[in-house]
Amino acid sequence: MNSTTETMPPAVRRVRAYFAPVNRAAKQPTIFDPAQQGMFALEAPPSPWIDLGWISGFTRKSGTKIEPVRAGAPATPQMQSRSAIDATVALQFASWGKLQMALAAGTQQMNLLKTQSGAVSAGSGGAAVPAVALQSGSTASVLQLGAAATNFAVGETVVVDVDYTGQLGFVGSGVSGAYVKSALTDVDYVRRVSMNVGRIAAISNGAITLEQPLLAGIPTSLMKVSGVAGFCDREGSTFFQEWSALFVAEGQQGERVLWHYPRLQAMASATESSAAGGGGLEMVRQSAEFRALPVADAVDGENVVCFRSFVVC
Amino acid sequence: MQNAKDTFYEMLRSRIAAANPERTIVLRGVTRPGVLVEENEFVSAVTVADCFRLRWIDASVNAENALPVATLTCEVLYETAGTAGNVGMDRGRLLTQMDAELAAALNAWPQKTAKQNYAALATGGSAAAMATNIWWSDVVLGPLVVKGDRFARTAKVTVMSCEEAGEL
Repeated sequence: MNSTTETMPPAVRRVRAYFAPVNRAAKQPTIFDPAQQGMFALEAPPSPWIDLGWISGFTRKSGTKIEPVRAGAPATPQMQSRSAIDATVALQFASWGKLQMALAAGTQQMNLLKTQSGAVSAGSGGAAVPAVALQSGSTASVLQLGAAATNFAVGETVVVDVDYTGQLGFVGSGVSGAYVKSALTDVDYVRRVSMNVGRIAAISNGAITLEQPLLAGIPTSLMKVSGVAGFCDREGSTFFQEWSALFVAEGQQGERVLWHYPRLQAMASATESSAAGGGGLEMVRQSAEFRALPVADAVDGENVVCFRSFVVC
Repeated sequence: MQNAKDTFYEMLRSRIAAANPERTIVLRGVTRPGVLVEENEFVSAVTVADCFRLRWIDASVNAENALPVATLTCEVLYETAGTAGNVGMDRGRLLTQMDAELAAALNAWPQKTAKQNYAALATGGSAAAMATNIWWSDVVLGPLVVKGDRFARTAKVTVMSCEEAGEL
C-alpha cells in the first residue's frame, strides 16, 4: 500500500456498475472477491460480471437501526444492538440496454417479439413469428440457422431461448426473467422474458454473428431464435428481478472503492428522470432504486447485505 | 506544481502525436509534435498556427487534505488559416479537426497519469516517476474567434495534483 496516498480521500469522477446473475432456483448469488479481483480492468470485468456502464446519482442509504439497551435508574445505555438491518441503493443508468432496462424496471422485462402478420394486438406484443431452431455448431457468439438466417438482418436484436412447454417456477436461460405461477399457453413465453439477447453484427453462410456473446453462453439444441422489435415493461406486474451488483469508483491515484451487493431487488417501479441535453433537448435517464437482501459471509457466517472494500494498486 | 505542469504537457504532447503524427512544428530548428508551452518558449510576436499552445493561468492550493491538492487552469490556444492549396477555404475543417484531436486527447480514459519529475533532464539525467498521479477535467472548448484570415479557439482544462513533500 502506498503510504503517500492511503490517507487521501478518493477523488472520483464517476461510478461504474456491473451485473452478475443470481441463481434464483438455488438462491445462489454471484460473489465478488475484492482481494482477488479488486483491480480488474474496468472495461473487462472478470466472468461472469457484465459491464452496465457508467451510472450517475449513485446514492446509498442504510436503514439499519441501532438501539441502545438501557438499564438502571435513570436508564443508561449499557450496550447496543442492531434491531433491524436494511440498505437501499438509488442510481441512474446512463445507457438504455436490455439489462439496464430490466434492472430499472425491476420486474419482467418483455422482449417485443416480431409479430405474425395480422396478429391480434397485445400490450406486450402479439403472437410472434415462429422461432427458428438452432443447428449444430452454434456458439455463444455465432448462431447456425441455415437458410433461415436470411430472415434476419444485420443490426437486428434476437433472443435465444427454449420453447415454453408448461414449465412452472423461474424461467429464462442465464438469468431468470420471470416466475411462472400457473401454466401458460404461449410457446414463446420464455423468449418473451429471456435476458439471453444479442444484436446481429454479421450474417454469412447461414450463420449470424452477434456483437457480444450470449449471456447464457453456448446455446443448447433446444433453444430457438426470435427477432426482437424492442423491449417492454409493465407497471403492475408481479415478478421481482434480483441481481448481484458491483459498483466501482476509481480514485485519481489508482485506488478504488467497491460496493458489492450480492442480492439486489428493485424497490420501485420503472421511472425516468430528465437532464438538460443541450439544444433544448432533454436526456431521458432511467432511474432505479434497489433494496439489498442478505447473504451469509463464508468467512464467519455473518448475515450481511453489502460489502464495501477499499483497494489500492 | 511545476512537475504537474510538465507532466501534463508531456501527456498531451504524446497523445496528440499518437493521434496525428503529422501535426508537427519546427521550433528553434527542431521538428517536434505540435504542442508547446508558451512560458517555456521565446517571447514572440508571431503566433504559430496549427499547433496547440498551453498557457497556465489560475492556480490554487487546497491544504485541507492529507496532501495539499493543487488546482491549475490551463488554457489551450490554437488557430489555423487552413491550407494554401485550398486557399484557406478549409480553415473551418482544420479547426474542427484540432477540436477533435484535443477533445480525444484530454477526454480519453484514463484522465490521469503518473506524475514525473523532469528536473534531472537539465543535467543529463532522466525523468523520475513520483508517488502520485496528476488528473484533469474534461476539456471545455471556447467560442470560435476570427483573427484576420485565421480561425482561432481557446479551450480550458483543469489540472489537479497532490503536492508531495519537497515539491516546488
